[in-house]
Amino acid sequence: MRMLTGAAVAAALAMLPVAAAADTDEIVWGDTLPSGLDPHVVYDVPMQFYMLNVYDGLYRYIGNPPELTPWLAESHEVSEDGLQWTFTLKDGVTFHDGSPLTADDVVYSFQRLLTMGRGPSGAFLPVLAPEGVEKVDDLTVSFTLSQAYAPFLAAIPLVAIVNQDAVEANVVEDDWGSGWLTSNGAGSGAYIPDAQTYIPQEKLDLAINPDHFWGWDDNADPIEIVRAYPVQETSTRVLALINGDIDATDSYLPTDQVERVEAAEGVGVASDESMRIMIIRMNNRRAPFDNENFRKCVSHAFDYEAFIEIVLGGFPERNAGPLPGNLWGAPDDLEPYGYDLEAAAEYCDAARGEGAELDRPLEIHIQSALEQTTQAAEILQAGMAAVGVTVELVASTWPTLTSAAGSVETTPDMWVHWVSTYFVDPENWIGQMYDTTFAGTWKASSWYADARVDELLQAARAETDRDVRTGYYEEASRIIVEDAADIWIYNTVQLRGLSDRLEGYSFSPVGSGGELRWMSVTD
Amino acid sequence: MALFIVRRVLMIVPILLGLLLLAFGMLRLAPGDPAAAIAGDNATPEQIAAIREDLGLDRHVIVQFADYAWNAAQGDFGVSAYSNRAVGLDIAQRLPATLELTFAALAIAAVGGIVIGALSGAWYNSTFDHFVRVVTVLGLATASFWFAIMLQLVFALDLGLLPLRGRLPAGMEVPPDITGFLLIDSLIAGRLDAFGATLSHLALPAITIAFGGLATVARFTRSSVIEAMHSEYAAYETAVGYPRRRVLFPFALKNALVTPVTQVGLLFGAFVSNAVAVEAVFDWPGLGSYLVQAIFAADYTAVLAVTLVIGFVYGVVNIVVDVVHGLLDPRVAERM
Amino acid sequence: MLILRKFLRDIPAVLGLAIVALAILIAFFGDPLIVDGAQAVIPDLRSRLQPPSWEHPFGTDNLGRDIFTRVVMGTGGALTVSTTVVAAAMAIGVPLGLIAGYTNGFASEAVMRVTDVFLAVPQLILAIALAQVLGRGLEAAVVALAATYWPFFTRTVYAETRRVRTLLFVEALEGLGAKRLRILAMHVLPNVAAPIIVRATIGMGFIILTSAVLGFLGVGATPPDPDWGLAISEGRNYMPGAWWMTTFPGLAILALVLGFNLLGDGMRDLVDPRLRRSR
Repeated sequence: MRMLTGAAVAAALAMLPVAAAADTDEIVWGDTLPSGLDPHVVYDVPMQFYMLNVYDGLYRYIGNPPELTPWLAESHEVSEDGLQWTFTLKDGVTFHDGSPLTADDVVYSFQRLLTMGRGPSGAFLPVLAPEGVEKVDDLTVSFTLSQAYAPFLAAIPLVAIVNQDAVEANVVEDDWGSGWLTSNGAGSGAYIPDAQTYIPQEKLDLAINPDHFWGWDDNADPIEIVRAYPVQETSTRVLALINGDIDATDSYLPTDQVERVEAAEGVGVASDESMRIMIIRMNNRRAPFDNENFRKCVSHAFDYEAFIEIVLGGFPERNAGPLPGNLWGAPDDLEPYGYDLEAAAEYCDAARGEGAELDRPLEIHIQSALEQTTQAAEILQAGMAAVGVTVELVASTWPTLTSAAGSVETTPDMWVHWVSTYFVDPENWIGQMYDTTFAGTWKASSWYADARVDELLQAARAETDRDVRTGYYEEASRIIVEDAADIWIYNTVQLRGLSDRLEGYSFSPVGSGGELRWMSVTD
Repeated sequence: MALFIVRRVLMIVPILLGLLLLAFGMLRLAPGDPAAAIAGDNATPEQIAAIREDLGLDRHVIVQFADYAWNAAQGDFGVSAYSNRAVGLDIAQRLPATLELTFAALAIAAVGGIVIGALSGAWYNSTFDHFVRVVTVLGLATASFWFAIMLQLVFALDLGLLPLRGRLPAGMEVPPDITGFLLIDSLIAGRLDAFGATLSHLALPAITIAFGGLATVARFTRSSVIEAMHSEYAAYETAVGYPRRRVLFPFALKNALVTPVTQVGLLFGAFVSNAVAVEAVFDWPGLGSYLVQAIFAADYTAVLAVTLVIGFVYGVVNIVVDVVHGLLDPRVAERM
Repeated sequence: MLILRKFLRDIPAVLGLAIVALAILIAFFGDPLIVDGAQAVIPDLRSRLQPPSWEHPFGTDNLGRDIFTRVVMGTGGALTVSTTVVAAAMAIGVPLGLIAGYTNGFASEAVMRVTDVFLAVPQLILAIALAQVLGRGLEAAVVALAATYWPFFTRTVYAETRRVRTLLFVEALEGLGAKRLRILAMHVLPNVAAPIIVRATIGMGFIILTSAVLGFLGVGATPPDPDWGLAISEGRNYMPGAWWMTTFPGLAILALVLGFNLLGDGMRDLVDPRLRRSR
């Protein structure tokens, strides 16, 4: 009894003065924040949101399908042999502290990234050394690659340009200022982070940068203050949206919540085809997964249709191979594996006939924080049980799994994850997933090894003609799918709950539509 | 008495050392190479080796422990993989939220428990008493995270009476950080709006956590009230013709109030435990939700640092409780 | 059988015993008498998220599994975990408490100081940290819970042993030259057994709650285990639409823990009549 009274009093108190907070140029963004604010250290999907808004890069992906647009760069040139890249910067760009952004900052940013060797450096380290980045003049930077690397330009937007003076003023020992930059901003982007408000993965306020170099001519009424307040639990997040506490959810709404959002007033769901494939990895070097027939057995034992149509409400598109179906290089005629328990049983029998040992319980590792990985694993478990193979689920986490991918022995039998768009080039998927040079990284955790595929992927990397590259990737895709290296499930349709007062939301697979500078609010 | 207090405070030293040893041992037990974890996804073996050296992982275990203990004593627990910055900083930012929640729950449990307990003790074996007993027993048997979800469902969703999550409305300006306790800071800043909002945001999580403790306090209060009512003094007063209530409040209640104080230490431990899952449910930006996020990030450094800090706070609370108890009842102090 | 009659008069305690007995029966015979246990883990996507009905009294979950079946199948798991943890904690805690309580000197001191360290952090927090370090899964959770629960037994047994030791007959036995181990096993242990049993009964309920929290936080049972705590956590994503996914497993926890608490309270009254029922 007492409790109820207490609660009512508290509620009454709350009613009094809160209403004043509503302001037309302010939104609350409920999507996840990165696990740290240093763009040269953290390399996850939420970081793309932060980078797009707080930092600028030489180039930027805009729209869907994403188009590579010159951003800080005016233009670029490539030498005939593809080794020498020269970028000309726009004049008059300033950082948030008012100092000019020059070639020095660009050189510093790349050298910082490459020397620390963290974050997105993996896309460059094989072909670019810190010394390979040089200032030509105040507005010109040149990059000298050790070998031709076609995806170089596609990967350029991964590198945020940081304010050299601001970072260097905060260097402690040889940390490259990382201890400071992880909770502060040193960018030039359209929004300025307020470090005072920052609590990791809890909240961060962003204020508009009226002097952003791109100008605000294309958005008459931009949002002035963005409060990035991630809401941890899915159901809470959806309710917060419906209640009006937040203006946007993350972009992975479970389909069961989509109906609720759509039924509610004043909110809606933006659905956009992305480039993010869901995949069940198999450790191709561990028995029985070293047996091709067994891998085909597993590939036929997953109920793709039920998973996509029922659990996921039919939103995503079945994806036949390792490249998102909507990206160049993915063969149009690739036949996806279907759910067929008879075929699965035959392949398993064939595997047994070849001496594959299928009696031990096989492990599939899930990511506890991501419910879909559990459901997919349970569906595969049921399918495998039907052909007499025991599969056990093991709860794990992303950091544990990525570090386990370091060696064949520690890589699990199977695990579930997605490969999102970091840069829009087949290299981001098939290139880094099935070329043996990437063995030991999480993307290559199936330990697939095929000489012809290696040859194709390496040739595609060195070739600049897209048509030729397309041919290489198509052939490689066919071989990999024929070998049933992994279980590719679908290409994601991203579903983000949005308040109706938000306008100008435009999706791009890079950053998942989180670029705030195009948005405005109506009331 | 001063000697008692000093002795009681010194008793925590070996316990803290033991805790440090326990945490250090668990850190060593943790799977995975901390150097590899820090190095990230693209690290070369050379980079990992360099980080190992930086972290001092190549030194003797005892040296490492001494180092860990020395750093921890200064609030330096290492770098969190979850936030990429000092764990100590994260904890300092979040500890006040957890303490505010826990103390609010303690206040609810104490006040609610004493009132309910006193009433049901005064009218024991009445319908009200039976009802209270059922409710208090239920309180001890309820999984707090589940109760939290149920309260959310009813009060935030169905009735829309109370906020669903967080510590303040997203758009509200936070009062200047002085104590870290929003209830106090908002008053200092003269921000009644923030005070009210804090109170309404506190309500559901604090009630959830208090529910189990309410039962404990009510039970103790009830039985000491009954005991007092059956005492010869009370019997005499009633016999002389004083109404029951007049007897109850000055005498029985005064005695009954000492008991809950002795329970505060235990309750605090239980409440901090419950806060872990409850904070996660309500998105309360405290140590509990940090711990849960750290679990999902496999961030052992953070998990163990939180354990240590909670152990420390728990120890301090218990010291305070013992000292207060000693002041209330000098026999306790003599026994030590 | 005075004790039995006294116990039977205590209605809440009898209710507790009935709940616990029912739970044990369900754990042993729930499959196949009440439900088909195999159905607890087999997804049936076409009937997912159905509200309670005659066919599915508790509704179905996100993979179309019958929640009633899963709650019934989860009973055994809850009892197994709590029995294992309490038994293991007793196996460690009781001997240590006996030794520490019976002897003086270094061993006694050492045991009690270690106990203090473990009790210096709320058990759940320590169990979470330990379960996390040991790797995920039910086994890790059970080890973590046992490794953090034994000090409670040590404390209880220590205090009781101290009390019993000062009783005259123990000194007399020692005077007669009886072996220590024999005295401990034949004379001290029976005298401290009652508080141990009470502690164990209430501990069963407590461990069920704690392991549910671990399951909820993802450091306990692994899917598709029909663990109650895990089920609540899985149901959260479907709130408030599919409220039945969280509600029924939560009620199951409530009922079973209530059973153990009522039973434990009743037994405490029998063992120690000085304490009033209301405590």
